[in-house]
Amino acid sequence: MGPEGWLFLFSVLLAAGLLFTMVFFIIMFSDLECDYINPIDLCNKLNQFVLPENGAHAFLTLLFLFSGQWTAFLINAPLLAYNANKIRSKNHMYDATEIFRTLGAHKKEGFIKLGFYLITFFYYLYRMIVALIAESD
Amino acid sequence: MAAPNAQLPPGWVAQWDATHQRHLFIETASGRSQWEHPLQTNSPPLDLLSQSPPPDNASAHHATHTKRRQYAAGQTQAYYGTTEAAGFADAAYGAGAGAAPAQQPGQLFTPGLAAESQFASQQGQPPAAQGGYFQGAEPDYPAPAAYAQPPYVGQQPQAAPQIGQLADQFGQMGINPAAGYSQKPFALYTTNLLTAAPDPRELSRPPPEIRLPPNACISNSPFANCDPSYQRSTLNAIPANNSILSKSKLPFALVITPYRSIQEGDDAVPLVTDTVIARCRRCRSYINPYCQFIDGGNRWKCVLCNYSNETPQLFDWDQTRNVAADRWARAELNHAVVEYVAPTEYMVRPPQPPYYTFLIDVSQAAVQSGMVATATRTILESLDRIPNADDRTKVAIIGFDTALYFFSIAPGAAESTMLVVSDVDDVFLPKPTDLLVNLTEARAGLENLLSRLGEMFQNTHTVGSALGPALQAAFKMISAIGGKIIVLSSSLPSIGTGALKVREDPKVLGTSKESALLQPASNFYKTFAIDCSRSQVSVDMFLFSSGYTDVATLSCLPHYTSGSTFFYPAFNASRSEDAIKFAHEFSEILASPIMLEAVIRVRATKGLRMSGFHGNFFVRSTDLLAMPAVPLDQSYAIEIAIDDPINSSFAVLQTAVLHSTSSGERRIRVLTLALPVTSNISEVFASADQIAIATFLANKAVERSLSSKLEDARDAITNKLTEILGTYKSTMTAAGAGASAQLAVCENLKMLPVLCLGLLKHIGIRQSSQIPSDLRAYAQTLLTTLPSQMLIPYIYPAFYSLHNMPPEAGTIGERGIIMPPSLPPTSERLERHGLFVIEDGQTIFLWVGRDAVPQLVMDVFNLPSYEQLRGGKMTLPLLDNPFSQRVNAIISKIREMRRGPYWPHLYVVKEDGEPPLRLWALSNLIQDRADQLPSYQQYINTVKEKINIGGYT
Repeated sequence: MGPEGWLFLFSVLLAAGLLFTMVFFIIMFSDLECDYINPIDLCNKLNQFVLPENGAHAFLTLLFLFSGQWTAFLINAPLLAYNANKIRSKNHMYDATEIFRTLGAHKKEGFIKLGFYLITFFYYLYRMIVALIAESD
Repeated sequence: MAAPNAQLPPGWVAQWDATHQRHLFIETASGRSQWEHPLQTNSPPLDLLSQSPPPDNASAHHATHTKRRQYAAGQTQAYYGTTEAAGFADAAYGAGAGAAPAQQPGQLFTPGLAAESQFASQQGQPPAAQGGYFQGAEPDYPAPAAYAQPPYVGQQPQAAPQIGQLADQFGQMGINPAAGYSQKPFALYTTNLLTAAPDPRELSRPPPEIRLPPNACISNSPFANCDPSYQRSTLNAIPANNSILSKSKLPFALVITPYRSIQEGDDAVPLVTDTVIARCRRCRSYINPYCQFIDGGNRWKCVLCNYSNETPQLFDWDQTRNVAADRWARAELNHAVVEYVAPTEYMVRPPQPPYYTFLIDVSQAAVQSGMVATATRTILESLDRIPNADDRTKVAIIGFDTALYFFSIAPGAAESTMLVVSDVDDVFLPKPTDLLVNLTEARAGLENLLSRLGEMFQNTHTVGSALGPALQAAFKMISAIGGKIIVLSSSLPSIGTGALKVREDPKVLGTSKESALLQPASNFYKTFAIDCSRSQVSVDMFLFSSGYTDVATLSCLPHYTSGSTFFYPAFNASRSEDAIKFAHEFSEILASPIMLEAVIRVRATKGLRMSGFHGNFFVRSTDLLAMPAVPLDQSYAIEIAIDDPINSSFAVLQTAVLHSTSSGERRIRVLTLALPVTSNISEVFASADQIAIATFLANKAVERSLSSKLEDARDAITNKLTEILGTYKSTMTAAGAGASAQLAVCENLKMLPVLCLGLLKHIGIRQSSQIPSDLRAYAQTLLTTLPSQMLIPYIYPAFYSLHNMPPEAGTIGERGIIMPPSLPPTSERLERHGLFVIEDGQTIFLWVGRDAVPQLVMDVFNLPSYEQLRGGKMTLPLLDNPFSQRVNAIISKIREMRRGPYWPHLYVVKEDGEPPLRLWALSNLIQDRADQLPSYQQYINTVKEKINIGGYT
């Protein structure tokens, strides 16, 4: 298997991981709505995952950039910019005092990210298969 | 035809009936109608009727009061009465009404009267605004003290015979529904804002009447619906579905003050002591006067979710005396505000005793300003007033500058030992015991310590403040139980966690970046507040500054732990006014009973959902508000969304506060508000409560200014007003969507534009590059916590003229000191030779005109002439002349007439005195034009133009 195949195999796995993180976030938000968890615990729990999630995505995007996978990089660039902007303005963490006011927005963001990771997951899978076929030819 | 209104006796109105081509005469008090002119018929004695109350809750309650107690089926019969009742109703009425009038001399809002004023305004003549209030000599001027309490309070004891007669009268009303209830369904009275000047007296009117359908309430108690001072809704008729609500553009929210102070003349909240608590099994709401008993009284139907519950057996049995009891006498079936003693199921632990930890800044700034001395003296004097019902109250005192000073007092000892902890990076308690001491046992030691504390640090030169570590230490001390941390801080925290920097930059003020200064600078205070809320610790902040203290960040703690913030800019105890103000407010806070370990939940009829919360608390789950300690007279605003259409004819909003009293009892306070449901948009408009709307908009504006920009907050207020007025015009008036030369609004929302203008010009919101962010942040905390009674003058200051006040003003009348008539806050009313008072509940300005005659200056200030007088903070001398005594009486009345611990400063302002003080005083005259801010006329003209363009959508 060539480098392109390995790259996309890795990104498929990472995208799957990110996918599960988003599912976890969304489940936690609905738990909060149903009052199964209090906002303080929720924020403590979720805040542990925010930076790793953003970091993993940033790592993947930069990997595409350095390996010259322009399409894949361009797909991921907007989300990278969005995350970077959030961290820069210091509102990437969930705030227990504001969580109920912003819950709708957080859920929406979670679903959009979930969709995005899902699409990219299949895209990486497709690219991996294409790469493998190209090699075996 | 000439208007027959002119010849009518008071209390009657004439209505033209198009189908019969003649006038129908309606008696507004009872809703009775007749074709004959009242003066020509055998009508009831008119002199008695002339002052009878309007058909608001008061009279309805008196009437209902007499209904026999029975089950639902029987009620209908009683309600509609029998035919005989009508026979002698006329005769009975005179006597019955005779009892009623004395209690309500105030001319309150009556649809009938409003009809007259509408008539007048259509002829281009503003109604009451022109003549009425400036005459002053009106004996019926509703004193602001009576404002929050309904007129019927305290009028309970009625003679039995009259009750019977009133019942007959009510029965008669029922017979002829066309004349009574249904004929005048919330008629909407439109006024033109462009011609009708705002009248401050409008604000002391009670909210629009709540017209519940007959039989909604099983009790005939006048207290069966919630008093507006506890809980009021922006809409006193709930739209049946969301499309009506969104079409009307009116905000739907609840303004609650669950822990309201009980002043003289108020009734205490009835207490249910037998721990029989009937709650709906499905929605967990509490039984209330709007639930129906079914199945012969064995079951009751929940009014919120219609679930049928079993009635507790003990409802009919008195456990203490072992006799059958009358369930109809139970407080929860007769009172909308009721408190239960909660059994152990409502406790996670035994009710906590009140713990107080004082964090006193002892740095140089604090000692030199005299804050330490004043504070310790106040605590010393208030030791007896601190809630300590069962001798369980504990107190700790911690001093802090760059180090922490703990004081250990052994029980019974008269001496205290000081322990210094200078390691502020890793805070620890130097001793496990005797730091938090029992107030009773260690009384001698505490007194000794408090009297010496000032001296101990007299010569300190330490500059700096380790507030963060001090807070952590205090938290460690009481977090196991919870309680109150009272912080007295004179300087910006500079050491250890929670250190803050001076971030105010005069260049930023007035720009769009300003709102960043209003947001907390450090995350520590937010996370600490969350920890506090978890451990049932509440923080009160008393901030004394000579410079920048970052009120915005420090007020975060009280905000999320339901405490209060007090701010004393440039405090100096050597000025006795400063010392008095602080000592008064501080001792009020210490003495006030607090609700500990409280949670608040608002439940409502199916279809309604609490969607947003504003105020000082932590939202612990979607609809549960956690408050470690509820202070007296703090108000909260809760937005309500209509998720599903409401099918019932009325809806109930129930607030329940589970709390421990400071005397160690677990209790539940329940506030029930029943409101009719309507599918008619005009009824929604006719029942909108402008005061509640203004309170809600103030909360919303502050939220907006923090989440985006101050400018957006201002725009949001104006846009909301434009939307409301625009919708009113297009749906309720003939002008429709087209342009109109008028600006129409219904009578009950007449003051909304001026209140919005007041908000726009308020120090917390207004456009200016001169307002330090500390003052803004403090004003914003007040905007979100003050109850309506205090908030309304805070945004729409009261204005009185003293030099020409009526002779009885300032003397003691039936309801305490009589206030002079209030004027609209505009400088048109200022006269060059006059003496005026402008007050907003936080500050009082005594304005002296430049041509004030020497006699007036002599009488009030004991100075020979105007030139000798100096402006600024002062205490008015009490002189031996009637005018001085009356002025003093009015000032003291202003200071005490509203609920809340605040003790406003008195500033004397000379018309040609120092410009800053003058401008400050004038900025309270909100109907004037100031800088870029529009005058009232300009403002409503802009709004009108916006509406005519249609740009409000």
